[in-house]
Amino acid sequence: MLSRIARNTFELGQQIERTENIARLLEVNEKMTVQEDLSAELDPWTPLLAVTRSLDAYQQEYAEVTQARVINYLLWDDRHPYSVSFCLSRARLLARTIRERISEEMWLLLNSMYHDLHKLRHIREQHEFNWKIQQFCNAFHGLAANTMVHGHTWQFLQLGMVLERALMTCRILEMKYHILLPTAADVGTPIDLHQWQGLLRSVSGYEAYRRLYLARIDPANVVNLLLINARFPRSVHYCIQQAHQGLKGIGMYNEEQFRLFMGVEEFLEDLREGIDGREILAAGLMEFLQTMQERIEGLIGATHRAYFNSITVTIIDEQQRRLAIQIPQQ
Amino acid sequence: MPMKSKSEELFDCCDAAPFDELLGSTGTVRPVYRRAVDYFQQLGVSGTEDLQQSADYSLLNQGVTFTVYSDARGTEKIFPFDLMPRILASREWQHIEAGVVQRMTALNLFLEDVYHDQKILRDGVVPTRQVLGSSLFCREMTGLNPPGGIHVHIGGIDLIRNQTGAFHVLEDNLRVPSGVSYVVENRWVMARALPELMANYRVRPVDHYPQMLFESLVSLTDNPKPTIAVLTPGIYNSAYFEHSFLADQMGVELVEGQDLLVDQDVLYMKSIMGLKRVDVLYLRLDTDFLDPLVFRPDSLLGVPGLMNAYRAGNVALANAPGNGVADDKALYAYTPEIIRYYLDEEPILPIIPTYLGSRPEDLRHILAHLAELVVKPTDASGGYGLLVGSHASSAELEQFRERLLARPEGYIAQPIQQLSTHPSFLEQEGAKGFFSRHIDLRPFAVCGADGTVKVLPGGLTRVALKRGSLVVNSSQGGGSKDTWVLRAGSREGDDA
Repeated sequence: MLSRIARNTFELGQQIERTENIARLLEVNEKMTVQEDLSAELDPWTPLLAVTRSLDAYQQEYAEVTQARVINYLLWDDRHPYSVSFCLSRARLLARTIRERISEEMWLLLNSMYHDLHKLRHIREQHEFNWKIQQFCNAFHGLAANTMVHGHTWQFLQLGMVLERALMTCRILEMKYHILLPTAADVGTPIDLHQWQGLLRSVSGYEAYRRLYLARIDPANVVNLLLINARFPRSVHYCIQQAHQGLKGIGMYNEEQFRLFMGVEEFLEDLREGIDGREILAAGLMEFLQTMQERIEGLIGATHRAYFNSITVTIIDEQQRRLAIQIPQQ
Repeated sequence: MPMKSKSEELFDCCDAAPFDELLGSTGTVRPVYRRAVDYFQQLGVSGTEDLQQSADYSLLNQGVTFTVYSDARGTEKIFPFDLMPRILASREWQHIEAGVVQRMTALNLFLEDVYHDQKILRDGVVPTRQVLGSSLFCREMTGLNPPGGIHVHIGGIDLIRNQTGAFHVLEDNLRVPSGVSYVVENRWVMARALPELMANYRVRPVDHYPQMLFESLVSLTDNPKPTIAVLTPGIYNSAYFEHSFLADQMGVELVEGQDLLVDQDVLYMKSIMGLKRVDVLYLRLDTDFLDPLVFRPDSLLGVPGLMNAYRAGNVALANAPGNGVADDKALYAYTPEIIRYYLDEEPILPIIPTYLGSRPEDLRHILAHLAELVVKPTDASGGYGLLVGSHASSAELEQFRERLLARPEGYIAQPIQQLSTHPSFLEQEGAKGFFSRHIDLRPFAVCGADGTVKVLPGGLTRVALKRGSLVVNSSQGGGSKDTWVLRAGSREGDDA
């Protein structure tokens, strides 16, 4: 498989996943602020810009944070890498470069979503729009699972998807940290619980939570579900497990690739060791999430170095032996 | 004017050329078109419109698009597709096929000759200046031996029918002819949109083109399990869809310059497992950009060292670099002589009388008759920079006159040809219907290392969608229609 094709496939997985998670993040906001009396005191839109790493860029353009503007920014601003419109255009561009590698059905779905996106602008109901985006992304993954050969291309698509998802799950959890309650006394109140519930719903985790931990919403268990649980498909643990499988499937052909694999294995060990949501909350959720995101970003960078950017050059030594050496590209 | 029967009322023929593909000289439908006319008559305008819309929608969804250069955003458009097929009887096709084979064979011999012994120049059949002085002559190819001495592996020969109804060669495309993917895609769309009509005709298939191409590429290497790749300039190229389509259909890798590297005169592609040797490269990139060490040094699209690997015989290139010298618009004037010289045969397909700016007496004729001629730059393609005298304003004529005088050898001129017309389903003055539009035909041929030329039965029929326009290029607002070549012995095949 060509390195460039591998890189584009990986990024396609990332972009589709990112598209879905922007929709999910908008959903968290809607669900957290649905109670009128509270929304007056809360500004959920600045945090949303913060977790999508868009605050600086946004503030350079607009003086004021308003709901309509932020939503418009995260959905339609083509210049902004965390907008649905940008991610989908980019995804389609990437898919064009690997059209012969993905199935016809995947291409048709993505291409028609791209062409229809601007028709969705008229949808007044934000929830309906988010729902359409999430449906599209999941249909895409479903087609990938069911219509593609599960070879290298598929593995790279998955790898991009799960690493992006792990990152975004951390960011969704960050939202709760950012949307602080007006007073400490509100912790544990119906409002607080309502927010945790909204967060669970936005990652399709509410049903899973109830099956595992029953009706009582305990923040420690929410953290457990989203970070530590190995069976919930949006948890960090699950994603890293999948990345581990993916790299095994792709195979390792040089030292850099082997080192990446070891890095994922180490991460997995740490997640398996049984840290608990309660400990994480006690030690500081925000710090923990920061560390996790740094590790995931480290893995993404290492994937680029190991599989996409390096080239092998053969040289002939004085005994006329051909040697292969790996040179990372700038 | 003869009375029109009811079925002809569907067709608005007021713009029909002296030779119309569908209507004979007496104004009646040619026999090969009888069934098609009846079919569309039954469908009516609204029925055809429904089919056209679903066909367009499926082309857009499939991403069968091309990129328009002049548009800064690189907007993709679908290549407008016209549902009304062009139908060629088997006898008509046999004539075209023989003419294309003859032409490809002669031009291959010409290229092998000009890059080796140059006998044709020494015998004075083609002026030495015309060949060696051409910017398209590639010195790096001299003395180089491509497999089987074949330079043109993929050719597209543009044909038109003029007022006499006879097919004439308009130009040869021996470098990177494009459009064959539309031939295949158009047929798929037609088979979905008009299955009943197609079943009524015995149409020869075209979707085996990728196999034809594959066989020709495989013949260029001795490796029994060769690695073949298609080299594209990238997704922003107007023909990217085709590059991707062909690679996919052949099951080979689609590569960009950045994916390739030459080491010790061997071409490799960079894969996640390290380097993989490439045996045959199908070039969809102009020679100029191929190798920055040899050609344009600023090219980022090519592969440094590629020409060395080629020269060393470690990789085969299709088409061979340097073919431009044989499809140059000025050399075109000499092609009948080239065919006679190498094959000792009369050209099967005539060319259009051509005046060369480089010949003083021709130049005088061009300047005196500018308004009756089509003037073309010799070094451009895609219909860019040409002048149709009868359609130009006096200011445009004056401007062109100056350009001609400044660089006469850069231009050729031909009498304006009354391209044949064909009914097209489109909108005119706000109403949908079948209106006459000018068309041409580009058959595609491939040639393996053994020199056998195979012509795909069909080809790209391009339509000048603008009323009265003679320019069919997709970049200039042209569209296309499916071209049906009927099997020999078809009920209506041989009495056209």
